Amino acid sequence: MERALRVFAWAAGALAPAVLLTLLAFLLWRGVPGWSLALFFGDTPPLDAVLRGAPVFDGLWPACLGTVALVLLATAIAVPLGIASGVYLAEFASPRQRAALSFCVDLLAGIPSILMGLFGFALILLLRKTVAPAANTGLLLSAGCLALLVLPYLISTTRLALESVPQELRLAGACLGLSHGQVVGRILLPAALHGIFGGVILAVGRAAEDTAVILLTGVVANAGAPSSLFGKYEALPFHIYYLAAEYQTPAQLAQAFAAALVLLCITGGLFAVARLLRAHLETRWKTGRSQ
Amino acid sequence: MENGTFSMNSCAIRIEDLSVAFGGRTVIDHLNLEIGQGGPTFLLGRSGSGKTTLLRAINRLNECFPGCVTRGQVSLQLGGDWVDAYAPGTVVETLRRQAGMVFQSPNVLPLSVARNVTLPLRTVLDLPADECDARMEQALRDVHLWNEVDSRLAAPAASLSGGQQQRLCLARALALHPEILLLDEPTASLDFKAARQIEELLVELKTRYTLVVVSHSLSQAHRLAEQVFVLRDGGRIECLEEAVFRDKDALLAVMDELV
Repeated sequence: MERALRVFAWAAGALAPAVLLTLLAFLLWRGVPGWSLALFFGDTPPLDAVLRGAPVFDGLWPACLGTVALVLLATAIAVPLGIASGVYLAEFASPRQRAALSFCVDLLAGIPSILMGLFGFALILLLRKTVAPAANTGLLLSAGCLALLVLPYLISTTRLALESVPQELRLAGACLGLSHGQVVGRILLPAALHGIFGGVILAVGRAAEDTAVILLTGVVANAGAPSSLFGKYEALPFHIYYLAAEYQTPAQLAQAFAAALVLLCITGGLFAVARLLRAHLETRWKTGRSQ
Repeated sequence: MENGTFSMNSCAIRIEDLSVAFGGRTVIDHLNLEIGQGGPTFLLGRSGSGKTTLLRAINRLNECFPGCVTRGQVSLQLGGDWVDAYAPGTVVETLRRQAGMVFQSPNVLPLSVARNVTLPLRTVLDLPADECDARMEQALRDVHLWNEVDSRLAAPAASLSGGQQQRLCLARALALHPEILLLDEPTASLDFKAARQIEELLVELKTRYTLVVVSHSLSQAHRLAEQVFVLRDGGRIECLEEAVFRDKDALLAVMDELV
């Protein structure tokens, strides 16, 4: 019995890396052959597109820019809000407030992303009928809806990370004359950075891959590079979905796989940036110097 | 020997009618106590008799725990004035800085050795970097740690030995220039040699600070104490005559009888 349990636990543990490796291998196998400068830039000279912003008509470049802009914007909205709510829940809320707010956060986490998109769409309709007749779907609306989608992850991980900081650190801070706010800001939050950045990475990944929200809030197939907060934009997940659903030639399907690999690389790059940022912040906190 | 109340020439901490309860459970009940300047003053008693709670009532650290209700008065002589710890106008952060505390197990922050001392200085006193460094060095010298760590100030504090960590915690409190030091079983988690070092430090520090020490070690009290109080179950407190705690056998006999 015990042996069977151990074998099962081992197999379950091995499942996650196995699935990940299979997925990666499959994507590399199907995606890498499609990689070329033309995949990104079409007929436009790459340097012109990157440096001078020349329009790219048949390549992934605008979608890459769109996805990066979308993710950065969504995390810029969600991270401060999420961390602040997590801090409030863990440190300042009364037990009754904590119970009520946690319930709301759990509910928010359970909302399907298509509903979040629908909410954004309905919001624009409402704005058009009332105060802003010219309102339209666009980058900022998508980022706002994505921020709502990832907010619960950030709140929960921040709260959990703060609550698992040892009680001795609170006491150490308090008995040195730090106020509660200073204990939170100078000791607990930095000590909880590891957990909080776990939430940030989860949020970045979720914002980068979501298609349902952006589908209803401003993404289009051919918008070019994002030019304003309120304009339409392109994004990789939508591009992949669009190509995979409506491809007519094997080359287009190959392009979809190549785009999927690009999305994975961009997400990986953002994770790396988040890790570097965390390492930098931790070093600065621990030694008082910024490397 | 009336319960707990003594008239001393130079009193540093006066506790009047103090009651502390956590979530309705009374830990300290109507306690009166006067602690003299310098010391060390030892608080002895069985586990659960409320020694730590009494110590934490002095710097109001009990308030960091949920459901704590404190009644009565705690006055501290700080900077030549009497400060009522629980008065509405008293800034608790200032009080805790002036009455520094060292815990049973060294609770260094997960930072570098230097930053453990300088972070509170920067945060609480907003001192410029060079003054923080000067105070840090002085505090580390005061606890005889400077020569051991001056080459690895940037190393994690957790990499120090237990005794070094405890002395670092002491230095961290000293750097804030307190007038009173509250020590909660400061040697309980240390080996014999490290404990000895802390004891020697206490002897040095008693000329500059008022020391209040919670301890389980009768021999420590016997060797170091200038004043000894024994907390009994039910929250009563007894003061021991010097003749008693200077005599090992008498101390043992009295402790057997009291606790």
